[in-house]
Amino acid sequence: MPYLEIRKLEKKYKDFGLSASFGVEEGEFLCIIGPSGSGKSTLLSLIAGLDTPDGGSIILDGKDITKEKIQNRGIGMVFQDFTLFPSMNVEKNIQFGMKEKGKDRKKISDALLALVGLEGYGKRSVSSLSGGEAQRVQLARALAAEPRILLLDEPLSALDAPLRKSIRNSIRAIHDSLGITMLYVTHDREEAFSISDSIMIMHDGKTVAMGTAEELYNHPKDLFTAFFTGEGTALPAHLVFENTDGSMFFRPEHAVISEEPVNPTMYPMHIILNDAEIVSAEFTGSGYMLGLDYQGYPILASSATKPRRKTVSLMILKESILILE
Amino acid sequence: MRRKDSGYYTLRALPGILILVILFLIPLFFTFSYAFHDNGKALVAVFSDKYTYRLLAFTLKESLLSALISVAVAIPLSSFFSKYTFPFRRAVLTLAGLSFTIPTILVVLGFVIWYGNNGFLNNILMRITGRDYSVLSILYSFKAIILAHVYLNFPIAFLLITNGWTELPDTPEKAAYTLGAGRARTFFSVTLPRLLPTILSAFILIFLFCFSSFSIILVLGGNPAFSTFETEIYRRVNINVDREGAAALSIFAFFVTGVMLIITSPGRRERKASRKRRVLIKATGRKLFAAVLLMLLILLFILPPMLSIIYRAFYTKAGAFTLRAWEDIAKGSTGLMSTALNGIINSFMIALVASCLAVFLGSGIAMAAAKRNSWFIPFLSSLPMATGSVTLGLGFSLLAVVLGHDSILISYLLVTLAHLTIILPFAVRTIIPGAKAIPDSLAAASYTLGISKGRTLRKVEAPLLAPYKRKAFAFAFALSLGEVNATLTLSDGHVSTLPILIYRMISSYNYQGAAALGTLLLAEALIVFAIGQGGRKNAIS
Repeated sequence: MPYLEIRKLEKKYKDFGLSASFGVEEGEFLCIIGPSGSGKSTLLSLIAGLDTPDGGSIILDGKDITKEKIQNRGIGMVFQDFTLFPSMNVEKNIQFGMKEKGKDRKKISDALLALVGLEGYGKRSVSSLSGGEAQRVQLARALAAEPRILLLDEPLSALDAPLRKSIRNSIRAIHDSLGITMLYVTHDREEAFSISDSIMIMHDGKTVAMGTAEELYNHPKDLFTAFFTGEGTALPAHLVFENTDGSMFFRPEHAVISEEPVNPTMYPMHIILNDAEIVSAEFTGSGYMLGLDYQGYPILASSATKPRRKTVSLMILKESILILE
Repeated sequence: MRRKDSGYYTLRALPGILILVILFLIPLFFTFSYAFHDNGKALVAVFSDKYTYRLLAFTLKESLLSALISVAVAIPLSSFFSKYTFPFRRAVLTLAGLSFTIPTILVVLGFVIWYGNNGFLNNILMRITGRDYSVLSILYSFKAIILAHVYLNFPIAFLLITNGWTELPDTPEKAAYTLGAGRARTFFSVTLPRLLPTILSAFILIFLFCFSSFSIILVLGGNPAFSTFETEIYRRVNINVDREGAAALSIFAFFVTGVMLIITSPGRRERKASRKRRVLIKATGRKLFAAVLLMLLILLFILPPMLSIIYRAFYTKAGAFTLRAWEDIAKGSTGLMSTALNGIINSFMIALVASCLAVFLGSGIAMAAAKRNSWFIPFLSSLPMATGSVTLGLGFSLLAVVLGHDSILISYLLVTLAHLTIILPFAVRTIIPGAKAIPDSLAAASYTLGISKGRTLRKVEAPLLAPYKRKAFAFAFALSLGEVNATLTLSDGHVSTLPILIYRMISSYNYQGAAALGTLLLAEALIVFAIGQGGRKNAIS
């Protein structure tokens, strides 16, 4: 039985409904990703107890906590917004939810500050902290209350890219050293890929896919997951495969460009698309992302060099093609 | 979030709401029962009497004119103050903020001493012109009423509009200039539409204040022809002893004010302050000269009446130094002065108790209103404003008649409760922006740390509300300290407060005594103002 189990959890709003079922193992780092408005933050609010579900149950360590008070759930949360208490300094913020009494409090808060890389910040006022520092203190404060699970609701979305990268690495390192179960909400695919053990994708209030980053990228079960986990091309399957419904999907790196026309009979393992016109060529640093037009359909293909010709041929390995609905 | 803990906050607000409703309903009930006495004869008479509509017309006229002039004078000044920075700019704005805490009776007294036929201004003008009669005849006329209202309210308009204007980023104006629009076109088509809500809310605030103006009309108008609802109700109760007529008129006024509050409420919608304020330009050369000139003009308008009160407390009309009034207060000698010391203590104690209660109950109400995002709670708590303080005073005095008591304690209790009813809505309104500024996520974060709702309120939210509570206390204290309307209507000779004593001394032409007490009242108002100013620091913006 998973450590945290979400069973048919439901929440209905006027123009939005959430329904989710999944499980998280103890010590797992699960990232929840999805477009804005897909219900990621609502899901966290329901798990934390900040909102009440209309149906379903939340089981933590074998115990149903659906109706438990927020305070008694043992679920910590790091918020997207600045939620440090302005009337307390950094140290007092961290000690606020601690269960320990006496001298231990100071020791633990110092240790936590060291853990998040903010030694000596204890006496600082929270208004003097930068965005990144504030999020680190939020993390230390949440950990100080010794939660059984830590929820992080887009904690880095307000920070700039280099800072995001460095803090997300610290979060993963803290997870690994403490072994705490974490649920991390983000809309940033790259962030989710880089720190999670597993990823859950949400769309329109529903869980559409769950698995490791590799599984979701290489073997998406539907077009939404395919496009949400990376770039790619979807063409009507009947263009190439007779009597096949749905779409054929492939990643740009699976399409090989040839500046000469290719004879399909020479390459039985590939799908050959001749006379594709190059519409755009975007330099990506390591190569080019080409935008092509094949019989009116847009195609994405990556290439190490910039083709000299306007019209090229495409070779796609058949086994890399997915037929998706 | 709101759904989960709003019940807790509502529960905490309940005592305040109950007390407010009860304190508001009791006097209203007695007023209604008197008005409907004898098959509502008095009520029919009021509604069919042309005089009632003349009162309405006059009240509307004086309030509209006062608000219009106050705003019209303020706009050009605000335009300058929201564009340039110069020495003493902040000090002048702070001085303008003092208008919120200056008791009206001090304006009345200051006007009598400064603008009176034998006042300081006329004395100066007589010396300059060499005439032996008063040059300016301002007092006891319609223009005195308007001038006093403008005196009291122009600084409020000036402060509100300047603050609102400074908060508007000037990028749209710059964009308009780059598109080739001139200054006038930019002002009317870009600046004014954005500034209009601020101007309107200042206008409405002043209009409503002047609509229920009392002591200025009573003393500076000096003529029954200049009567508003408030002064007429007071006259009917205390001079004509026509309680039924007064009650009937109160009900008419209550409905008129209620309609006004409903009509004007959309204009008082709160706007979200923009994060990016405009950068003020440092005034140099001619602009600096203009700044000095404008500041001098403002100070020359605001300061003399107040300074003349202090001067008159120490000097006779002939200009000789004297401490007679002060000795009389200290000795508690004869006549009105015998109650002066009592009045000082009364005023202080009533204001202290009423404003402590108002802040305590008001913060509960404000937190519930913010957590529930409710329009109803603020509406409910502003009901006493619609009633008008004279009507509330009348209601409490009718209650006193019914109680038929002799106890001085009950008199004090009734006056304190009347003050509480009047100041509680203001306390709630002052605290609500503070309560709304506290993000819900703070409480959410605290709950996820395992902290109870009570401790979260005490340790996390209450410290953030403290500056607003201090401001509300200062405002409520100042209002109670300067309260004349209800106290005078309710006053049965048992309870004399400082403003009542000043009012009586002005009526008996004892200007020196009034000025001495006025100086004390001014000092108290300044202290309270300083407390409130301290409250502005550390507030969440």
